[in-house]
Amino acid sequence: MLELKKLYFTIQDDDVDIGAKRNIIDGIDFTFEKGKFYVITGPNGSGKTTLAKLIMGINPISSGSIIFEGKDISSLSITERAKLGIAYSFQQPARFKGITFRDLLAIATGNNDEKKFLEMVTRVGICPLSFLDKEVDARLSGGEIKKIELATTIAANPKLAIYDEPDTGIDLWTIGPMVSLLKKELTPKTTTIVVSHNRAFLDVADVIIIIDKGRIVYSGDLKSALPLLTDLSICTYHNNCERDKDVGCLR
Amino acid sequence: MLDALDKKLLKTVADLEGLPKGAYNIRKNGKLLDRQISANIDIETNADGTGIIVTIKPGTKNESVHIPVILSQAGLFDVVYNSFIIGEGAEVTIVAGCGIHCGTSESEGHAGIHDFQVGKKAKVNYVEKHFAMGEGSGRRTLNPTTKVFLDEGATAEMELTQISGVDEADRLNEATLGPGSLLLITERVLTEGEQRAESTNNIILQGSGSRANMISRSVMKGNSKQIFHANMEARAKCFGHIECDAIIMDNGTNETMPALKALHPDAELTHEASIGKIANDQLTKLMSLGLTYDQAVNRIIQGFLK
Repeated sequence: MLELKKLYFTIQDDDVDIGAKRNIIDGIDFTFEKGKFYVITGPNGSGKTTLAKLIMGINPISSGSIIFEGKDISSLSITERAKLGIAYSFQQPARFKGITFRDLLAIATGNNDEKKFLEMVTRVGICPLSFLDKEVDARLSGGEIKKIELATTIAANPKLAIYDEPDTGIDLWTIGPMVSLLKKELTPKTTTIVVSHNRAFLDVADVIIIIDKGRIVYSGDLKSALPLLTDLSICTYHNNCERDKDVGCLR
Repeated sequence: MLDALDKKLLKTVADLEGLPKGAYNIRKNGKLLDRQISANIDIETNADGTGIIVTIKPGTKNESVHIPVILSQAGLFDVVYNSFIIGEGAEVTIVAGCGIHCGTSESEGHAGIHDFQVGKKAKVNYVEKHFAMGEGSGRRTLNPTTKVFLDEGATAEMELTQISGVDEADRLNEATLGPGSLLLITERVLTEGEQRAESTNNIILQGSGSRANMISRSVMKGNSKQIFHANMEARAKCFGHIECDAIIMDNGTNETMPALKALHPDAELTHEASIGKIANDQLTKLMSLGLTYDQAVNRIIQGFLK
């Protein structure tokens, strides 16, 4: 249902010589199948979030193409992709002034059905229900705003849902129900892509995709992924790693 | 006696479809148009005929008084001095506001000078809206002044809104807070085109245990300009906060100057101020929920000024 073809995202690198170019996404080819649960993982800075943003249209692709349900969406805006049924849950959700949770749900669903909203609020583990009229502003805790983000994404009833680290800031006892909600209830109706390092998501993934330096280095099941996940070769710092002699990382 | 234009202005500034229930005083083109008093709320013209005195009996509960002003006479600059005396323990909502219709090239304006004496443990909710319209090229000016004196344990909640069409606005808000009193001011101003708005707020926390919170939300469209001063002076153990946010659209400009002065060791004063364009992550979020760029901008501004 989603095909990525020779996908590149290239930036001017400030760190190296001025004008030098760097591929953040370095030629990705991949096909996502309908109704499956994908987890994208990999080291920090490997390009996971960038890839997710390319699919939603938040970042423009440098070259290649994105085909969604047979249609080339590479040049479509965020709005157009949303209308085709792609939804995105941000790692760091936006905070507003004067916009409530209810307002966001109304925008996401296009209606004002309070009964459905309350059902949604309960499902993402938000309590009490008075939460609906809370402003989505800087006063919310990290966990609260992530739950709101999750709810607005689900409320949009997407064909393809992308969640960027949905578990950040979420309390431990909510992660289990969250995984079960996304995996059991919503997939297969929704094709799901989760960017995460969390074992709870990896455990239930139909397909695990490991990204390193902008390339897919593995896709398949968890069992075969485990050696790679523990292997140093996917660490961002493998070039200057001093191995066990002088371990500077938290490995 | 209310024509279609009057009705439109009243609807916009006072949410009134016709004549309000309860006490009211409607002023049109510098003259009294209609007045109604109630058992607990008295309205009389002041001694020199320059405005009204609204007296609310002690202990009055859940009553409201509407005092809108409408202007549609070319070249008129209407100045009015209104006093509000709110008795001990009373709870009242006062809806003021000024609507200007300018149909010619002659300028029109209004300056409403309002002073409030809020009695012990009384609660006043003051809602003021300013709006101007009309096809005329004359400038529409609104220069309101509010002076508030809060007695022990009194509360004043003030919502001051300038919706649109006002070319020139120079506002002054002054407040003195007695012991244990509470003042909440929310000011929302939208300017566009070549409009200019300035707001000066001087809040003195005089009594022990007094609290004040001043929130200002500004949106500048076109080439418009807004200047915002907020001065909070603490003379006792008290708590004060100023929050001013300005969103710049197009080529608008803004100057924001919050100032805190603590003259008592137990004073607690804070402020936060920000000026900038609409945050990109807010736009992206709303677009990812299906709104177009323009719809997202409108929704964010609508919420911001809500």
